[in-house]
Amino acid sequence: MVDPIIVVDRLAKEFPGGIKAVRGVSFDVAPKEIFGFLGPNGAGKSTTLGMLTTQLRPTGGRATIEGLDVLEHPREIRQRIGLVFQESTADDELTGRENLELSAALYAVPRGETQGRIDRLLSSLKLEDSAGRLVKTYSGGMRRRLEIAAGILHTPHVLFLDEPTIGLDPQGRAGIGTYIRELRDKFGVTVFVTTHYLEEADQLCDRIAIIDHGEIRAIGTPSELKERLGGDVVTLTLREEGADLTSAFRAVPGVLDVQRQDGRYRLKTARGEAIVADAVKCCLDAGAPLATVAVKRPSLDEVFLEFTGREYREEEGPSAADVAMRMNQWRGRRP
Amino acid sequence: MTIRAFTALTRRELLRWFRTPAAIVSSLLMPFFYLLLFGQALNIGKLVSAEHLSYAQAALVYQGAPNFYSYFSAGMVGFVLLFTSLFAGANLIFDKRLGFVKRVAASPVDRSIILGSRLAGGMIRGILLGVAVFAIAIGFAHLPGLAGLTVSGSPGVLGVAEILLAMMFLAAAFTSIFLALGFVIEKVDSYFAVMNLLNLPLLFTSNALFPRYLYPPWLQVISNWNPVSLAVDVIRENLFASSAYYPYPPLVYLGFLFVICAVLVSLAVVITGRTLAAR
Repeated sequence: MVDPIIVVDRLAKEFPGGIKAVRGVSFDVAPKEIFGFLGPNGAGKSTTLGMLTTQLRPTGGRATIEGLDVLEHPREIRQRIGLVFQESTADDELTGRENLELSAALYAVPRGETQGRIDRLLSSLKLEDSAGRLVKTYSGGMRRRLEIAAGILHTPHVLFLDEPTIGLDPQGRAGIGTYIRELRDKFGVTVFVTTHYLEEADQLCDRIAIIDHGEIRAIGTPSELKERLGGDVVTLTLREEGADLTSAFRAVPGVLDVQRQDGRYRLKTARGEAIVADAVKCCLDAGAPLATVAVKRPSLDEVFLEFTGREYREEEGPSAADVAMRMNQWRGRRP
Repeated sequence: MTIRAFTALTRRELLRWFRTPAAIVSSLLMPFFYLLLFGQALNIGKLVSAEHLSYAQAALVYQGAPNFYSYFSAGMVGFVLLFTSLFAGANLIFDKRLGFVKRVAASPVDRSIILGSRLAGGMIRGILLGVAVFAIAIGFAHLPGLAGLTVSGSPGVLGVAEILLAMMFLAAAFTSIFLALGFVIEKVDSYFAVMNLLNLPLLFTSNALFPRYLYPPWLQVISNWNPVSLAVDVIRENLFASSAYYPYPPLVYLGFLFVICAVLVSLAVVITGRTLAAR
């Protein structure tokens, strides 16, 4: 096991007025991992991110990034991390390229490399055609991509993204996920991302921490978390009940359990898609007339319910802690 | 790295300004109308004409300026510096709302650079507008039917340098007050309320618009210490070769102005550091 790049130990934040936004969270993030913080608004995601990026001072516990304590070495940490805020922070009156040039100056990107890096990032993020336009003409998705480019320009070791897809349409959301993965693969950057979209956490993250009311309820890979609920179910319905295929299905690698019920087989497995082809082949080999195949996986909704004891609430308004946190930057942009 | 971040941020300030010609025009519009209408209409030099005042008395009232309008025009430079500095704070509040301040504050750049670049941007804007006011006022002297600025002295290189320094110090002093306010205040409307509480008293207790000779004694005392007056005194004493009418040479006023400026800038540094510190 490689040494973790982020180590968080009982980190806590109590805002003046006694609002306990984060109540002692502990986790590690491995290099090059995409680590997701999933939870509803006000769960303490942004507060935790704020402490890790030296924007907020922890009131308990400690956190280190590449061995540097966030309280003792804020300047060094800032140089080593990239930060993409929830809201747009680019200058509307400057062009995309000018914004990136400004970031390069703020993060002391070597002068000789600046233009080359900007060009590469603009093309990676499909912004090369709009680089010369003022940012105020950009769409929401373009802005977010520009923010990501600005966040990664100085080749940070860890990229923090606070709700990178908030306020974007589904298409824009899907695009951002792809770009984040690409950047990780291309630059080997570790990614810490907060989100309150379950599907996004599921698709994007290598590991997820589920956070609610300032506490971590569960940590694991998306499939681990779902497996704890019993994994996927592949249901095969036959047109007519024939010979018993139970033992044939059991022989398929990856199948954990098979239930038979009036011409319908329910196959429990860790990953549904992985066994569909084999299961269908079983039917064909046995000459059984297959009517339908369905893969159902426990969604993260169910995972969330399991670990927090309540339904997931994506649309809920911000909590008191959230308001305290974002009072300055409030723009009223909620999906 | 520090210098590069400073120039990049200052450049950004100025780029934004140049890209909004409406903002430049509107900052020039107020002094322009003061010069074109207010000053021409309220030319008290016509009220207290030769029959009431001897030449010597008039020179005393205008502290050596050849006429009221020339006196007034030099004051307008102080006026424009004061009013331009207001925008530094207002822009800052807009930048906070737009998230730009957050972005810069999250970078490894030193807090003093964040303040310094805004200060530099504000000073450059103020000085450019101040020079524009000089140009307009001198231009008016050559237009029929208009009163204008007559430079009756010969300031020389040293005098011009003193004038520029006075403009710089005044701009720095006010820009830092208003930037500090901008860092502390979150809402634009609250900012404008506080701003009016400061700028009008600062203007009316100075001798920018009217000769302090006409003021009641208590106002004269306040006026002497008003930074606007100090800067305008440096300008007038140099432009009108009127050392006889001032108790001290321009360098003394410049020195006082520098001290006030240094205090206000330091105050702004402290306030900025506190506002931008991690909570």
